[in-house]
Amino acid sequence: MPKKWLLLIFLAVLLLSFSVMTYQSNRLHLLPLKSFHAVLDRLYDAKTSLKDSLSAPFRRMLIRESENIRLRKELARMLQEEQAYHEAVQENKKLRALLALKEHEPRHVTAARVIGRGTDFWSKTVVLDKGLSDGIQKDMIAITERGIAGKISDVFNSYSHLLLINDINFSAAARLQESRTEGVLSGTGSRRCMLKYIPHEDEVKEGAVLITSGLDTLFPQGIPLGYVSKVNKKEAGFFQDIEVIPFVEDTHLEIVVIITKG
Amino acid sequence: MKYIAVPIIFFFLLMLQGSISFHQITPNLTVLLACYAGIKGREMKGMLYGALIGIVEDSLSGAFLGPHLLSKSLVGYLSSLLYSRFFIWTPYLGILSIALLTFLDGSLVFLMRGIFDKMPAGAGAASVVILAQSLINAPVGIFLKPKDLHQNI
Repeated sequence: MPKKWLLLIFLAVLLLSFSVMTYQSNRLHLLPLKSFHAVLDRLYDAKTSLKDSLSAPFRRMLIRESENIRLRKELARMLQEEQAYHEAVQENKKLRALLALKEHEPRHVTAARVIGRGTDFWSKTVVLDKGLSDGIQKDMIAITERGIAGKISDVFNSYSHLLLINDINFSAAARLQESRTEGVLSGTGSRRCMLKYIPHEDEVKEGAVLITSGLDTLFPQGIPLGYVSKVNKKEAGFFQDIEVIPFVEDTHLEIVVIITKG
Repeated sequence: MKYIAVPIIFFFLLMLQGSISFHQITPNLTVLLACYAGIKGREMKGMLYGALIGIVEDSLSGAFLGPHLLSKSLVGYLSSLLYSRFFIWTPYLGILSIALLTFLDGSLVFLMRGIFDKMPAGAGAASVVILAQSLINAPVGIFLKPKDLHQNI
């Protein structure tokens, strides 16, 4: 196309644009192809429905995911609360038992919390958070609502060591509650203790309860020690071989009451 | 086929333009079609395609007829003129020319609306928008090569 024509058409377009705009600046706006809106609107509609149908599963997945995260958090919080509640109930129970013990025990000195296990692998000892400054002295007795836990083996200014009932160095004068047969309870270093010096003639039943006799002048009379779990009469010797399981288990020990020796 | 493809692409670009935004700035994608027509065709084709695109865009914009008609015609014409008369296409020049043509299109529409109707936005905000649109469109310049590039060289 000749340049002249091209320039003319270009100028015509410019002129047309300016004339149309000048005309519209004083009158109504001319929108001749407004009907194209319908095409565009339909396209938008199609795009939106396509987008929705494509994104809906992912959106639902995201909603489920966020819901899942929220519920997991809620569950974790509630489990934590439940645990705290159970802990409080357990502590309350223990403290009530200790309080009852304190009220009924005239030799009460103090209550102490177990703060650690003994460092020696072979001995069964625990560390208590009370010591000389709280009135604790060597050979005082530690009891719980279940019975004897042990005796104080070492005492320092603000803490003390408790020798547990199942330590090999522990022994106490004992008596079977029903038959009144007397013997000596000794620790073995394991979970069980041994009831010694019971002659073969005496009848000892499994499950019989063992209490302190008070004859050793260390442990007050009548405090529960444990129950007979096994009786062996067949072995040679003068005395029966009797196994006793202490009422107080060292692994469950948290708070003890310290009383003066008998 | 071409006469069906161009309106489809045009409406697709319009739809895309109305659907995406970068920091609340709507891109100006239809100007690319006018540039394409101008660069790939001759001055006449560029100008006529630009005028058609402009009229439809003006009608769909809901404002008034004219600003896009003028700007797109001019862009179509100039995009063709650039590489047929003045420069030899290179990727860098392609980027620069698309950015400048987008800037010209946006500025013209803004000016025409301001003169013949009412200001669509403040001058500062408008310049930011137009600049951003130019930057968004600029990379397309790499792909818009003139048809008879090797003949020109």
